Amino acid sequence: MDRNKTNLVLAGVALAFLALVFVFGRDLPGRAIAQTPPIPLVDLKFVDPAPTRVSIAENLRKGGDPSDYDCYVCHERNKPIKLNINTNGDIVVPSEHKDIVMAHGGHKRNDNCFNCHDENNLDQLQTRDGRHVKLTERSPLSTPQLCGSCHGPTYRDWEAGVHGRTSGYWNRSMGDISRLSCVSCHNPHSPKFQGREPAPGPHRLHPAAQAPAPASEGKVE
Amino acid sequence: MSEPKTPCNCASNGDMNRRNFLRTSGVLATGIAALAASLAPLRELSDFSSTEEFLQKHYKELSKDDMEKVLARITREVEKQYGVRPHVRDYKPMDGVEFVYCLNLTRCIGCRKCVHACVAENNQSREPEIQYIRVLKMPHGSMEMEKGDHNYAPDQVPEKGFFYMPVQCQQCKNAPCVKVCPTKATWTEPDGITVIDYDWCIGCRYCEAACPYFARRFNWTKPKIPKDRLNPNMSYLGNRPRKQGVMEKCHFCIQRTRAGRYPACLEVCPAGARKFGNILDPESEVSYIMRTKRVFIQLKEELGTSPRFFYYFDV
Repeated sequence: MDRNKTNLVLAGVALAFLALVFVFGRDLPGRAIAQTPPIPLVDLKFVDPAPTRVSIAENLRKGGDPSDYDCYVCHERNKPIKLNINTNGDIVVPSEHKDIVMAHGGHKRNDNCFNCHDENNLDQLQTRDGRHVKLTERSPLSTPQLCGSCHGPTYRDWEAGVHGRTSGYWNRSMGDISRLSCVSCHNPHSPKFQGREPAPGPHRLHPAAQAPAPASEGKVE
Repeated sequence: MSEPKTPCNCASNGDMNRRNFLRTSGVLATGIAALAASLAPLRELSDFSSTEEFLQKHYKELSKDDMEKVLARITREVEKQYGVRPHVRDYKPMDGVEFVYCLNLTRCIGCRKCVHACVAENNQSREPEIQYIRVLKMPHGSMEMEKGDHNYAPDQVPEKGFFYMPVQCQQCKNAPCVKVCPTKATWTEPDGITVIDYDWCIGCRYCEAACPYFARRFNWTKPKIPKDRLNPNMSYLGNRPRKQGVMEKCHFCIQRTRAGRYPACLEVCPAGARKFGNILDPESEVSYIMRTKRVFIQLKEELGTSPRFFYYFDV
């Protein structure tokens, strides 16, 4: 009788192991993971360190055509520009320049073209203290001087490498730092830094919990 | 079945007949096969650790020759696993350098480019996902971390009424994670970077529990990195591929910063909100920020961890 019992126990153990084989064979623990959708690889545009704009100077340095920026193809020399101002006192941008959005400062104190452009030489820009910078100036150092003639503290920070983007070497003895000029990030006509699409957030293990959080309350982690 | 002339057939092995033998051995064979099959998942652990790695000394006890052998082993292992020949080095701290990171909360727009540039540079696992930087969306006028949301997904950032606060390893001077490590697998280097020896870490996750900044990540499974996304410029204490069961965290891109370059998160930031440099150099950007900018926040300053990561506001 006892032998039968032993055999029964042995058979039971063997059955239990067989059940385990069945479980592992079906890869049940692994299957639960496999059921969650694979995490998509992030778009490479989100790891691209290129600046947000291409300035005229950068375009020219990369071999752009300087005649694209020749004002006197259309404008006549020695003929003053007549600004078209509407009843609100805002400058009406002519259709030839319709890509320009006039939004330099929110207070309407600097929405006059000739605060920066030289009305007598359209291919030049003028600083507040009367110095002139060519529109097609290739040096990245020219624009900061122009902008810095009004934006003093920001210019000071930029000179110290604290305002704006840097790349290259923090250790100047090991390599060069590369700086950008103001217009590599700011559009001079509407300099407020533009919003952009955010890169994907951290992946959630339980997509069911992905209900949008009430924006005003914030979401506790 | 019962045979009355046998007094007891319970413990006697003498009466082994053909039928009993076949039955018993059949059950036994099935049982053993089933046991072996049920242990099959253990086979996957075979590439978990090599003998060479097992016998390796602590990072600080490795001689120059030892280190060369270790780097050769890592090169071999990475090449075998990913089919890409990496350039693995052991970068040493420079004299007279202490790294400090400054982050301008006024400039940060919350675009999370730093998060993904970091993942790409430092060979973090893509599946499951490991990221060193968390960007918190915080309501204006508050520094309460409880109000932070890291799952925001609007069409455009920044959103009105919020500021964004990226949090990563703060490289504390008084690092709680270093204190709790039972194996001394993590320590603070002379240039201020708290590093992890991935070959010495036993994965107890004490450091993860001790860190008040949620900066440390654990490799729960074998990390997966697509071959074409692997960064072959690697360092021993930095971005060489990790294995299952070890901790990892931000190390200020040790393979870049100890070679004089800026970290990856800084270079990719479209707003120029991130600044990095040597605080011992009075001409550096971070020294300028310390001298001239108005508000500094060391995150959770009251804990006394004394981070080398500063948040500031500007105009």
